[in-house]
Order: sequence, then structure tokens, then C-alpha cells
Amino acid sequence: MLDNLVIGMAGSGGDGIVSAGETLVAAAATEGYYGIMTKSFGSQIRGGESSCRVRISSGPVLNPGGTLDVAVALNWPDFLKFGAELPVGGNTVVIYEAKSGVTADKIPIVGVTPAEVVAVPFGELAKKMGGTDKAKNTVVLGLLAGWFDVARETLIKNVAKKLAKKGPEVVAAAERAFNAGVAYAAEHPLKSDMRMAPPKDGRGTKILTDGNDMCAAAAIFAGCRFFGGYPITPSTEVMQYLSREIWKYGGAVLQAEDEIAGVGAAVGASFAGVKSMTATSGPGMSLKTEMIGLASIAELPLVVVNVQRGGPSTGMPTKPEQADLFQACFSAHGDGPRPVLAPTTVADTFGMTVEAFNIAEEYQTPVILLSDQEIGQRKEACTPVDTAKYKVVERLRPTPAELEDYTRFRFTDTGVSPVSQPGMLGGNYLAAGIEHNEKGDPTASGAMHGKMNDKRHKKLVPLVHRRDLFHVEGDPAAPLALISWGSTAGVCREALAIARRRGISAKLLVPYLLFPVAEEVYHEFFIGVKAGLVVELSHQGQLYRLLRMYVDVPRGIRSMCRSGAAPYLPEDVVRELRAATLGLQGETAETRQPQE
Amino acid sequence: MSNALPVVDKKFEPKDFKSDLKPIWCPGCGDFGVLQSLYRALAAIGRPAHEIAFVSGIGCSSRIPGYTTAYGFNTVHGRALPIAQGIKIANPSLLVLCAGGDGDGFSIGGGHVAHAVRRNIDLTYIVMDNQIYGLTKGQLSPTSPRGLKTVTSSLGSLEDPVNPLLYVLGYGASFVAQGTAADLPGLAAIIEEGIRFPGFAFINVQSPCVTYGEDEWQIKEQRARMKSLESLGHDPKDQLHAMDLARAYGKELYTGVFYRNPAPSPTYDQLVLERQKEKGASAPDPARVLDSLIQR
Ligand SMILES: Cc1ncc(C[n+]2csc(CCOP(=O)(O)OP(=O)(O)O)c2C)c(N)n1
Ligand code: SF4
Ligand SMILES: [Mg+2]
Repeated sequence: MLDNLVIGMAGSGGDGIVSAGETLVAAAATEGYYGIMTKSFGSQIRGGESSCRVRISSGPVLNPGGTLDVAVALNWPDFLKFGAELPVGGNTVVIYEAKSGVTADKIPIVGVTPAEVVAVPFGELAKKMGGTDKAKNTVVLGLLAGWFDVARETLIKNVAKKLAKKGPEVVAAAERAFNAGVAYAAEHPLKSDMRMAPPKDGRGTKILTDGNDMCAAAAIFAGCRFFGGYPITPSTEVMQYLSREIWKYGGAVLQAEDEIAGVGAAVGASFAGVKSMTATSGPGMSLKTEMIGLASIAELPLVVVNVQRGGPSTGMPTKPEQADLFQACFSAHGDGPRPVLAPTTVADTFGMTVEAFNIAEEYQTPVILLSDQEIGQRKEACTPVDTAKYKVVERLRPTPAELEDYTRFRFTDTGVSPVSQPGMLGGNYLAAGIEHNEKGDPTASGAMHGKMNDKRHKKLVPLVHRRDLFHVEGDPAAPLALISWGSTAGVCREALAIARRRGISAKLLVPYLLFPVAEEVYHEFFIGVKAGLVVELSHQGQLYRLLRMYVDVPRGIRSMCRSGAAPYLPEDVVRELRAATLGLQGETAETRQPQE
Repeated sequence: MSNALPVVDKKFEPKDFKSDLKPIWCPGCGDFGVLQSLYRALAAIGRPAHEIAFVSGIGCSSRIPGYTTAYGFNTVHGRALPIAQGIKIANPSLLVLCAGGDGDGFSIGGGHVAHAVRRNIDLTYIVMDNQIYGLTKGQLSPTSPRGLKTVTSSLGSLEDPVNPLLYVLGYGASFVAQGTAADLPGLAAIIEEGIRFPGFAFINVQSPCVTYGEDEWQIKEQRARMKSLESLGHDPKDQLHAMDLARAYGKELYTGVFYRNPAPSPTYDQLVLERQKEKGASAPDPARVLDSLIQR
């Protein structure tokens, strides 16, 4: 019995393969499985090729998985277009449309011999039993339920529920198509038993959502009551969710005329005393940078979410990459500080979003939350977040006594001064992008500018001592180390476990706070470390470079980096880790630098 | 989101809105006149300064919020309108004013004007139009006349000016007026009317730059040229006639209200409040925000 199953499916747009994946992961979640589903499309607006990857597991999952256990190709040309996103290996069961005419020993997968190759007459079964070629995806679901014994009951119920509006005949046809798949599986058993172990937790124990919805929901929890933004893939779902939900909580969404206006309105709402957010992706982030500087000097809380995609420019809008780290940390004009946070899964997007708001409020600063396309748009089945665990922070407001002689930017020990808002009698002040004195009056004094820069930076010092924003996993004494962030951290977590099973002992540091760089945390982590990898999806190795800028990085730490689009697989990291162990044995591993 | 503000039962004087900051403007700058008229208008309106949010961009003119006792926000170049709208949506009970220069409003920030108009959001936008970039020392502005020689158009500009009045009328604005720093009581009355208008009110003010402006744009010359729309018998309900008159921007100096929509659309901020009231009736607990995601 398996406790983990990774299925990759591809077809043309009309095949409904993504919809089948969604139905499958939802049914598995209902039954209590953990899971992740990612989808990938060709460049056409509608139609064209599409694929998805569904991972189902009886334990928590942190990434979409490595080489496929099951590959479903409704037609070969479309399947092959996804290349490294749907990797077939020696243990993969390959299922494909019999109509393609390709014989099992001639499938167009080169360099590997899959464990089993099965041609299934999907189209024929769909037409015969479901009455239409369109029922192919339902046959696929029946087949998967039959062979792998996942969520059969729930699947058939959900398929029926989804089609209920179309009338009883359509439902009956879909049920026949599904059962045809199940029957086909029974009549053609796989060589090896690949049934999934039942879930450890019962029904109704999982939530199913993507990172963008999670971010939006967490924002509501954290008290966000204004969102200003402009649509851009892959961040738009954040605005879409809030535009449905935020009103119930007394908030508002403004779809602005552009990204500048979106973040501008959020800055305005924050000035008016309301917690505010904007969300975007690379190109939109570029437009927002001036406003982030304004929030910085006016000391206004603001959360800016960047769901990273491949760049620069339009780049690869529907693919993940982690190459906006430099931009997040360094796009400020002047010495404008900005904390940068990054979630690693859909589940921890909740906590990181709440943290972003709390930090913004506590320190009256813009905060950048760096998500990425994979986290933002993948569906994850996980245990519900216990919201009671999270506190919600409010900005420091002036007391009545302080309002008697209000000094907006008063120098304090912490650097944080109470902030008033329009409507507060006595709190009147001038907020400005221009440098100012403690009262808020414009100044041209270099000395005052220096003091205000001190203030704006001093506020953030406590952050680098927040050990809870850094996770260290694995063997704490290991001389072999991994550092990774964002969605790639989930890949490294699994790589660490696989390596351990293979006798390679290592440890992993996952920074959730990327900036300011917590030098001490890294120095401590590097004690005793002889070799290792900084793993990320960016051509330049931006985290590696960032660390080299602030931290004494041991010589044996290399950058494992490449452009995004296809995420790393856990095996990739294990392979590199194994190579790094050679360095430990004295066989000088060449210190490979990122490609320039 | 909105908190009802206390009603302060008090008569206001223009000086109640004057802050301690001394304006950095050049002596004789038209912006002084705009400031004086604004004090008078605010006194007539009678809202206490702490209930007023006054937003500006960057430019000589954009310094104006700091010279009032209101909550001021001197933001970034060209972006006063989006920020002002965020404030108004966050707290519709505030009186929100917005001001800036011709470059701020019709060059770098020009893209935002149409959207403030189409939302008919209840704020008053005063553009202090001097046909020049004052703060950056005399460059060509979007409202500079064709052929103007400036430090960045030393051989004369090659383009026509934007017509701010026609631009805003063309987008369908419900309140469009023009005043001049050469007629302070008239300007005060226009600003007051703009503030009272329920929706987006646009006021173009001819506010000459004494340092970089042309001689014929100055206060004395304006006083000789200005003509009130009222004296022409213009009916501010007549949108087409308003547009016709607005075409004379740059040639004639008309003052007063070009267009005042007798039946404006509901304001964006009002609609936000209504939607919040309707959708918020169930008052869900934010701690249970993830409940609906549980797969049953
Ligand atoms: C993004 C940006 N670009 C350019 C500037 C420089 N700048 C400041 S004010 C200004 C133009 C001012 O002209 P106007 O808006 O007409 O105001 P005035 O000074 O005439 O009142 C310029 C170009 C800036 N501050 N920010
Ligand atoms: S430069 Fe012109 S616009 Fe600026 S303050 Fe002086 S006179 Fe006024
Ligand atoms: Mg100007």
C-alpha cells in the first residue's frame, strides 16, 4: 500500500484534465487525505494544452512531489509539451489514450523505461458509456479510483453534484463513464499493488485552498479592511477573494486604474487609520516602488504582496520563479527600510500574512510579502489553521494626554511613535514624502534627515532577533547544510527527509524573514557547517548573493540555482546534497558559483 | 470602517485653518491667494480642521496642505487623487480635499483624473494652474501654450496644451469650475460650492507663477481679462454650452461654474457604505474566516 501518490495528467484544453485534477484533490481532501494540486497551461487564452499534478498523501505534503507515480497522457503531443513539469521515471505507471495508435513499447518518452505502460481506450469508453467524448476525464477519474483506491465514493458523489444542474440524464451518463473507468481498472489490474493507504484522519478534517485565497482570508483575520489593486497574474485571486468577502467585515476593495493608484489608495486608507493591503506581481511591483518609499518615510503601515512569476517584464506570467528578492529588498530609493517575508506553503501563508500585518502595524512600515506563483495558485489540502494561535497587533495610537501637544514623529527608545488619524481631535499633523522634523514639518536639515533615518531603521531592529521567523530542521550537528526559502523550501524539506533515509545527515534553515538579513541567525546556523547549498529558483542565485553581502558564508556553501518555470524536484536537491558530501570527505568539491 | 465624527458646535474664522508654518512661496505667488480663499471657504463650511484630510502631490502648489490646520498629506508627484480616494473610502465621514499643480494633475497624474471622475467620489480637487513647473524652476508644463520657450523648450514647445476644463468635462465630471487668484472672494465662493457638491468637484484655478510665468499671466493682467460666466448668462446645468465655453481655455479667462450636474450619480463612498451595510448584516467572526474552506 502507498501512503503517497503523485499523478500527472495532460491533455488538450477541451479534455477537462485540470477539472478532473480539481475534483480528485477535493475528493481526497474530503476523505481526510493531505494533498497538493498544481496546474499548468500553454500560452493560449482558452484551449491549448493543459496539465495538472495531483499529489495525495496520508501525511502532510510540502511540495507537489518529484517524479510521477502515475502519468496520464490523453494525447502525446500535449503531454510532451510539459517536459520537466511532468517527469516520468523508472517507477512510473504510464497510462495513455489507446487511440493514439502508439504501442506500449514505442511511447515517446526517451531515456527511461517506465514500470508499466497501459493503453486505455478513454475516448471510446467515454463515448460508449458517457455518450460523449467529453466524458473522457470522468473515465480517467474512475480508472484512478479503481487502480489506486482513492476517494471512490466521494469522487462519484462530487461528479454527480457538479453536473446536477444539467439534469438527471447527464448525471447518469457521467456515473456510467466513471464506473466504466472503475470496471476497466478491475479487469486490467496493474502488475504491482498501488492502492493508497486510507487517510489517517477522518472525513472533514482538511481545508482545501490556494495561497492567494489563504492570503486574502488571513488579511481579513488580521484586520485588513481596505484593498487597492490592479489585476495581474498570478496574484489576482487575492483581489477576487476580497472583492467578494471583505464587505461582510466592513471593508472595501478598490480596483484601481493602475498599480500606482492601487497602492496609493492603500496608503491613503492606512493614513486614515485602516489596515490596508495591495497585491501584485513583478511588473506591478515595479510601479509600486515609489509609493512604498512614501509609506516608509510617512511611517504608515502597509502590506504589499508580490506573488512572483518568471521575469523580467511580462516574462512567464503563469510560472513560478524566486527572482524578485533583490527587488523586494533593494528597490527603495534612499535608505527606505522594508521587512520582507515569504511563506513556504499554502498553509503557512496564513501565518505569514498575519505576521506581515502585525509587523506593519507594530513598526509603522511597509512590509513586502513575497509569495510565488506555485504557492499562490496551487491547491493544498491541509489541516485547518488554528486561528486562536495568532494574535492581531494594532498600531500605537496617541493617548489623550499625548494629543494635548501631539508630536507625530517623536523620537522614542524604540523608534516607534504614536500615530493619529484624521478625525482625532488634536492629532492633526502633516504627513509627507518630504523629510520632516518630529512635528512633521518639512525640513532641509541634514542632521534631522540622519536622525529620521536612524529612527526608521531602529524600529526594525527587533525583527532580526525573531527566532520564530526562522526554522531549523534536520540534524543540528550536521556539517552539511541547506538553506532555502519560499516554495522551494518545501522541496528541500522533503529532500532532507529522503537524504536522511539514504544515510545523509544534513540540516535545513528556512528563513521566513528575508530582509533585514538576520546575520546572527545565519552565523549561528553555520557553526560547524563545512558544505551545503542555498537552493532557489533564480538565475542569479539571489538569496545566496544576499547572504554573501551580509553574512560570512562558509566556503563550502554553494548556490544551487536556476531559472524558474519548472520547480525543483526533491530528487534534484538530494543529488546535489550527495555531491556536496564528497566535499566533506576531503575530495575538494569545486565551489560552483551561480551562472553569471 | 467609518466612525461618526463629533459635531463641533462652533463658528469658524478663516484664521482657524491657518497653520504656524510659513509658506515657502515666492512673494506675489498666486498660491497665496488660493490659500486665503481656501481659509475663507473652510470657515464658511464649518467643519473642524481635524475632520478634514487635505492631500496634495509635489510642486510649489502641493505645499498647501501644510499651511492649513487640517490633517495634511503631501504625497508624491501626481498621485494625490488615488491617495485621497483611499482616505475617503476608508472614512467617508471626512471632508477630503485634494490640490496640486498643472504638472501634477495633468501630466504625471493625468491618468488618475478620469477615474476619480467616473467614481464621482466625494472630494474636491483644486488644480493651481500656472502653465509652468514652478518647483523645478521653470520647465514646460502640460498647460503651457504652444511655442512657449522655457528651460526645457528653449526653442519653443512643439505641442498644444491640455485643456483641463474640457478634459474633465469630457470625462463626464459633474462639477467643473474655474477661479483665479486675482479674485479671492469669487474663488472662495467657488471652492465652497465645490466642497458642498455631493461628488467629485474639479476647480481649475489660474494661479500665476511670478518667478517663471509670463508677464501677461500675472494677477493684474488676469484681473483685466477675467469674465464671470454668470455675467455671460451661462446656465451651469447646460453641459454642452459649458463645453463650448471651456474650449476658450487659454484664450478667455472665464470664472465661475461651467457645469454642475443637477442629478449626479451616487458617490462611490456612499455606495461603499451601503454595500458594507448590506453585506455586513451577518457580521461574521473573522476568527472563523477559514471555516468555509473545510472539505466536507
Ligand atoms: C516622480 C517624480 N518626478 C519628478 C519630480 C520632480 N518634480 C517635482 S514638482 C514637478 C513639477 C511641478 O510642477 P506643477 O505640478 O505644475 O506644480 P507647481 O510647482 O508649478 O505648483 C516636478 C517635475 C518628482 N518630485 N517626482
Ligand atoms: S516658483 Fe512660481 S509657483 Fe513656485 S512659489 Fe515661486 S512664484 Fe509660486
Ligand atoms: Mg505648475
